[in-house]
Formats: sequence, structure tokens, C-alpha cells
Amino acid sequence: MAVTSPIPGARFVDPAVLARVGNLQLVAKSVVDGLINGTHRSPFFGASVDFAEHRGYVAGDDIRRVDWRVYARTDKYYIKEFEADSNANFSVLLDVSTSMGFGAAVSKLDYAKTLAACLTYMANQQRDRVGLITFDADIVDHVPPSAKHLDVVLHTLDRAVAARPGRFGPPMRKLAEHFGRRGIVVVISDCYAEPDEIFDGLGPIRSRGNDVVLFHVLDPQEIDFGFAEPSSFEDMESGDQMPIVPGKLAADYRKLVAAHVETLTTRASQQRMDYMLLNTSLPLDFALFRFLSLRERLSHVR
Amino acid sequence: MSFLTPLFLLALGALAVPVLIHLTQRERKSVVEFPSLMFLRKIPYESVQRRRIRDWLLLALRLAALALIVGAFARPFLRGSELAAAPGGARDIVVVLDRSYSMGYGDTWQRAQQAAAQAIASATAADRISLVLFADGAEVALRSTPETSRAVAEINAASPGPGSTKYGPALKLAGSLLAESLLPRKEVILVSDFQRGGWQPDDTLRLPGGATLTTVPVEGASGINLALTPVALQRIRTAGQPERVGVTASVLNRSATPAANVPIQLEMDGRVVQTLSVSVLPNSSASMTFAPLTVTAANTHASVRLGSDKPEGLSPRGSVDALARDNVFHFVITPSAPVPVTVVAQTGRAEANLYLSRALAIGDTPRFEATLQSADALAGDTLARARLLVLNDVPIGDAAAARLVTFVEGGGGLLLALGPRAIWPASRDTWLPARLLNPVDRTRGAAAKLSGLDYGHAVFEPFRAPRSGDFSTARFYSYRGLAAAKDATVLARFDTGEPALVERVAGRGRVMVFASTLDLSWNDLALKPVFLPFVHQLGRHLSGFREQPAWLHVGEVLDVTSAEIAAGATVAGSGTAQGSRTVLSPSGQRRDLTAPQAAPGAPPPSLALELLEQGFYEIRVVGRDAGPGIVAASNVNLAESNLERMDPQELVAAVSGGGSSGPAGAQDVLPDEAQELAQRFWWYLLFAGILLLIAETVLAQRLSRAAR
Repeated sequence: MAVTSPIPGARFVDPAVLARVGNLQLVAKSVVDGLINGTHRSPFFGASVDFAEHRGYVAGDDIRRVDWRVYARTDKYYIKEFEADSNANFSVLLDVSTSMGFGAAVSKLDYAKTLAACLTYMANQQRDRVGLITFDADIVDHVPPSAKHLDVVLHTLDRAVAARPGRFGPPMRKLAEHFGRRGIVVVISDCYAEPDEIFDGLGPIRSRGNDVVLFHVLDPQEIDFGFAEPSSFEDMESGDQMPIVPGKLAADYRKLVAAHVETLTTRASQQRMDYMLLNTSLPLDFALFRFLSLRERLSHVR
Repeated sequence: MSFLTPLFLLALGALAVPVLIHLTQRERKSVVEFPSLMFLRKIPYESVQRRRIRDWLLLALRLAALALIVGAFARPFLRGSELAAAPGGARDIVVVLDRSYSMGYGDTWQRAQQAAAQAIASATAADRISLVLFADGAEVALRSTPETSRAVAEINAASPGPGSTKYGPALKLAGSLLAESLLPRKEVILVSDFQRGGWQPDDTLRLPGGATLTTVPVEGASGINLALTPVALQRIRTAGQPERVGVTASVLNRSATPAANVPIQLEMDGRVVQTLSVSVLPNSSASMTFAPLTVTAANTHASVRLGSDKPEGLSPRGSVDALARDNVFHFVITPSAPVPVTVVAQTGRAEANLYLSRALAIGDTPRFEATLQSADALAGDTLARARLLVLNDVPIGDAAAARLVTFVEGGGGLLLALGPRAIWPASRDTWLPARLLNPVDRTRGAAAKLSGLDYGHAVFEPFRAPRSGDFSTARFYSYRGLAAAKDATVLARFDTGEPALVERVAGRGRVMVFASTLDLSWNDLALKPVFLPFVHQLGRHLSGFREQPAWLHVGEVLDVTSAEIAAGATVAGSGTAQGSRTVLSPSGQRRDLTAPQAAPGAPPPSLALELLEQGFYEIRVVGRDAGPGIVAASNVNLAESNLERMDPQELVAAVSGGGSSGPAGAQDVLPDEAQELAQRFWWYLLFAGILLLIAETVLAQRLSRAAR
């Protein structure tokens, strides 16, 4: 029996996924701008438990922050400074181009929506401001980051359909100007663009201090090319048709896809972005758990 | 154009398969939606062009080759060809010509040749002619040829042989030839003198359906017909004189004309030694006995011949009647050699050997020459002379046993007759066919009797028939217990089941143990009528005696190995020589006779020689000075000289099965199989198909290289 929710997009918040990754946090690797206390490092000192440094007392400082132990040793007043924890802007950039509608059991778009919803829910739970931008060749929907926009984000996700052909570069370049404050930007796309175009689009966003995470969503057919019968293959975005004998092309195709993924991995690493390939045949909780735990471990190393 | 197997043409549909696949692939509207062709476009693969036919010539070659091969399998032929249009329909004629020796009667053979040639002359160009020559057996002299001249030449080259008439094999062979024929009319033409003796009704003998049997009886001039029957040989031995042989010959007159004062000659080694004259009434016989002759040499060629002069070759010139082959009878005379038997007994017990010695002294085939010897005197010389040794209730020491073992394994025969004194050394106990146990006393109560005789064995085989000797009347009051060895053969048992006579083969010789005595001390067997033949059978078997037949008949097979053994003078020499033999036939032809290779451990295989000619065959070992070798006399079958004729229609009715008469106009047209077989278009189609495939291979390779 289906359980109806007052929020249409709530169906994308998969309890199974959250149960698996609920004890993890999507923590920004860099400092982010925030107004309230959160889980991310702030560019400012604040009231956290993490000691940062000592500085000399100046008039106006709260005498409660004077380190009396240091005064006893040095006979000078020093103030203890602490790291400030902040909340962050968490934005999901979701590719809703026609190609995202591909998928036999589950479409890439549905998989991506679930991913976006789960991440947004997690971010909202850790008091981050959540927003959503859907794009194809242009920006389709824009939900600005806000601590109260979870419902709006879920609504928007529910409405998103893969209807038009997409391009990666133009919407990214347009969005780069939009991210005024440093935050976390999650890009979910099937990345059917040349690596140069992808990273030319993401570069400005990253250079503004945002922590960019690129999720590359692909259907297993796109990875393995497991077609058998010679057929005409139609590009879902351009409508072009091409007669294909899969048996002759599969090996070359797989090599090209592997090279594409390899290039994206390398380029993302060079630009200090996180990149992860998601195969829609794998359970999302499994992939997300792997990603978040890896990210958490690496952030400690850094 | 017609096809013999038109269903194969369905395979032509397979030619369209590649084209159809191409067309259906090209026209198929099924479209697979794919997110992006970005990667597929980067692959340098002309997927579209793969489905486009680029080498029309290659395709055409392949399709044409396949079509030709399919056409070949369909077996095409043209109906109404010249072959089918032969007037009256083509015939397959099998001329079956009798070449038994009765065909040599007068001018019968010349008439038969003419009749056969006339039958062949009626054949048309479309007819096929086969020629079968037969007597005892049948052989195909010419197989299914349209050349009448060849058939006539074969007939002219043939001549009557020494065989006797048998129609069955010849007609079966003719039937098998016609069964393979595809021509519409099948005919057997049997040219013979139709002797009644040559036909044995055979229900299984039938000519193929539609085949007709045409009989052509030929007869020579009638007249007197005499024949010699097998001779009787009587060996006469006089003390101090060499053995003499008396020859008795019988003459048979099968005609209605009396024969008066017909000379009859006895020839020895080609020389006439005696001539008598005989008169024979019509359809009766007369016997003549020649004066006994002394024969000193082994394998003496002897012949009895009717007529005053020896004929030259096989011509009847000088012969007393028109059928010369049955006017001579060949046989071989060899002085009989006695079989040396040494009876070993205890000194001073002459009564123990009385019955045995008397039994051995009687008989001609073979003649036993017994000598008495004491056990102490058993020496190498004594053993070397003997072929059979009888130990008549004597104790044997270890040294003597060793010599006896050597004697037997070298080919001698040994018989141990056991009494209370018989001892055999325990160290050689296992060599005997049975271990000797203590005496069994049957003097109280019922005496033991012999039962459980192995009538399949050579010793008891003559007693197999009813009233051929009763061993059960002999009473055994005592006997020695025997424990037969595993590999020994128990030939006789007492009524208690204990072994009475046990045999074993040891090396090249044989040894037997008889559980009781050969005198009257323990049994009364010596008083029974079976004792004499029993002792003789024991002697023949243990000494390896084989009788060499004085004559054989044409068509019989001579067991050369047995004949060589029979001709051997001693047991030690009875082992047949290995290797080839040279056979000199009566016609003077020399050929080799080689024994097949024996399997390891197996006894050497027998050599066999089929006697095909009338006269003397001489067989010698190649490359070995083996003396005269052996000689076999071969005579014609006397039944063939009986010229009584049968009604040919009896034969026709028997083999035609109630008369499926010959085909008529309904079968004037050749069947499809015959037409197709005659035209053989399939062969050309197949050849052309293979050529096209070769051309296609070459072209494909060149195109492939050019594409690279």
C-alpha cells in the first residue's frame, strides 16, 4: 500500500539510503560562509570547542575569554581564540536534459533525483541552507539556498522532467556568477560533453571557493553497451540515427567511455573537485555510503 | 530437365537467406534510443557500409557455386534421351557357362561356346553383358560390358576344367549381378549339359524380380562312357621281405553300350608297369587287381588309366571314350612305416605285457613295432628310437623321469599304466597330468566300472556311435587314486567319479596316466573287445600318428601341415617347418604357399592348399633340403561322369519362383535412376561448383589484400 506524503518530492528521500548514510555528514572540505553555527569550518573565529590561537587583550574583549593560566605565567592578558563552525549553502545542480531520461529499470533522472533529495535532506538536517538548480541547455528551475527550502527543493525535484536537449557549458557559466557565497555545490549529470567543456563550466564555480562535487550518473547500458541486435541507434537529444552493429562496436565503445571517465577523474582531481561515477544498476545507498565515508576520511587527512 | 531427388532443390531457398538478411536488416525500423551518440560517432567503423553489398561478383560467385552444388545433389537428368529410346529396352545379360569336366565330353564344349556366342550376338549396343564361368564354384569372367567382342573372346579363351557341376553358386552369382543392374530387362542365359547331379533344389535360390532364365542345353555325341572309381590298396607284408602293395581298380560303365577288352594300365612314377584288359557290361562295373608291387620310395606317383596309350595333355586322344578325365585315377603310395613303441616293464613279469604286446602287434594303420625294455635300461638311444613309451606298472627314478620329461617335451608320447608297483618321483609330481595316490581296493562289493568317457576326444571318438564298443563291461578291482592337475584333461572316470585316464600336453608331446593296469591283475579290460581298439587309439594319439590320404578330389583342400606331419618319419621331426612352401601343380605351374603369421604363443597356423587341377601336387619347403616334401594326388569327382540329364525347365521353374516372365514393352523406357546414372550430370555440376568456390576463394583473397 502506497503511503502518500504531503510533499510530493518526499518520495525521493529514500529511507533505505538515509538509514545507510544517516550517521555520515556531508562536510565541506573548505571553509564556507555561514551565518549560524554548523558543521563546516567558517572563515571567522567563533565559539567552538576547537582552540585556534592566543592574541593580546584589547579593550572591549570579553574578560571571560582571558586565559588566566597564561596570565599567571606571563603576567600579560591573552585572549583565547576558537575556530568558528558555520553552516553552508548546499546547492544541487541537476542535469535534466533528455539524455537523463534514459534507463531501463530506473532512469538516470530518477536515480539523480533520489540522490539529490537524500543529499539535500542530509544537508538540511545539519542546518545547511539547501537549494536546487535544474538545467539542460539553460537553467530550468532555480531554488535559492535557504534553511527553509527543503520542501521547495523536493517539490522542484518532483516536477523535473527530462524534456529538452542539454548542454553543460552555458548554464554553468551563467551559474558561476550566481554563487556569491562559498558553499557546497553538487553537480549531478551524465556528463555527455567533452571534459574541457565540463571543467570550463565548473572551473569558475570552483574558483569562487565552492566545494564542487560532480556525480556522473550512467546507466549500465551506457557503460557496458550490452546490446546484441544490429539496430539504428537514435540520439535522445539530437534525434540523429546511426545504424550500429553492437558486436563490432562494443569493445571500442567501452574503451571510449572508460577513457572519458578516466579524464573526468583526472581533471576533477587536478581542480580539487570530487568526482564519482554512479552506475544506476548499483543501489544508491551503497554508492553514496562509499562516497561519503571516503570523503569524510580524506577530509580528516587533509 | 528432371531431377532424381528434387527435394534437394528446396535447399536453393537457402541462397536467398544472405540477401534476405541484408534486406531485412536494411529495412528494419526498430530504433534503439540511446542517450548520446557522442562516443559511437568517434569509433572509426563504417557500420552502415557493412550492410551494403560491395563485391557483387563475390556474392554472385558464392551463390552460383551453392546453386550448382545443390543442383548436383538433386541429380538432374534429361528424360527421353537416346539411352531411353533403345528399341525393346536395354537388357542386362548374364551368360552362365558350364565349364565342368563333363563339358569335355565329345564336342560338347565347342557347342557350348557357339551357343554362348550366339546368345551374345543378339545383344544390342545398349545391352550389357556379363560372363560367369562355373563348375564347383563360379567366377565372374566379365562384368557388365557393352562390348560383345570382349565377351566372345572370353568365351573362346575358356576351357573345361576338372571341376564338377553345381548350378546353385552360379545362379546366385548371376542373380547378384542382375540385382545391381538398373537396366529394364534382365536375363540369365545358362549354357550347360544340365547334368542332374549338378542341381540340388534350393528354396533360397531366386533370381531378382523381372529376371528371366534362358536355358541353352548342349549335348555331345552319345557313346560309351567309362569311369574309374577310387582304387583299393592292400599292403602285403612277409617276414624278411619288403612291403608289397596290391592295387584293385574298378571300372564303371555308365552307358548303354558294353565295353569289351578295354585296356587298363597301372603306372608308377609315370611308367606303365602293368596292363590288363577289362570288359564291362552296360551300366555296371568290373574290378581288376594288379599284381602286388614292391614300393620302396615314399610319395610314389601311381595312376590307373583306361586305354592303351597315355593321352597327351588333356586331349581325349588315346582314350577309350569321349570323356577322358574320368578315365584316370591318381594316387600316392608310400611304404608304411611302423610306429616304434617301447614298453617298459619290470623284468620277469612277462604276463604283465602279454595283452598289450599282442594288441600292438595287430593292425596296419598304423603298424606298431613294440619292443620290451626294463626301466633300468631307459637310455637316450632307446628314447630316440621310440615315438611312444608305455610305462607298464614300473617304478621310475628321478634320473629316468628327467629323461622321460625331455623325451615327451621333444615330441614323444608317454603312457603310464599304474599298478601297485608304479612310482613316480615326487620332485616331478607336478609334471604329470595327475598326482599318484594310494591304490583303491574294490575287490569287496561291486567292482568299479568306467563311465564318463570323453567321446569328443580322439581316443574315444571311434566309440561314440552306438554299439561301437562298450567300456562299461570291464570291471576294475583295484586302481590307483589320481589327483588331476588343473590344466590336465580327464578323459575317463570311474563310476565313483575318480579319474581313470588323464592327459596333458607337455611341450610338443603328450603324456597320459591310466589309473589301472593293462593286464588282468587289477581289471579285466584286456579281455574285452574294446581293449584292442582302445590300445590302438592310445597309440595313434600319443605317437602323433596321422594318416596321409592316398588321394583327394578336385575342389578339396589339402591340410599341408597335417600332411607334413603324416609324412614325418619320427616324432621329433614331426614339427612342421615354418616359412613358405613351393607348390608344383599338375599343370607344371609353380607358386609359393605362405603360412600366415602366428600370434605370439599360439600354435603355428595350418597351411591349406585348394586342389584345382587333376594330377599330382608336389609341395616342398622353400630354402630347405627337406627331401621330397609331400605329394597329393587330385582326382576328378566321379559324380560328374554321370551324364544323366535333367529337364532344364525344372531349373527355370525353381529359380524363377513361378515365372515372372521377362518384361515387355511396359518397361521399354529406362527408369529414372538408369537415365540419371547414364547421364551423370550431377558430376559436372559438382565439379563446376567446386571450381567456382576455388575462384571465389582466390578473388576474395585478392580483394582482401587490396582492401588492406
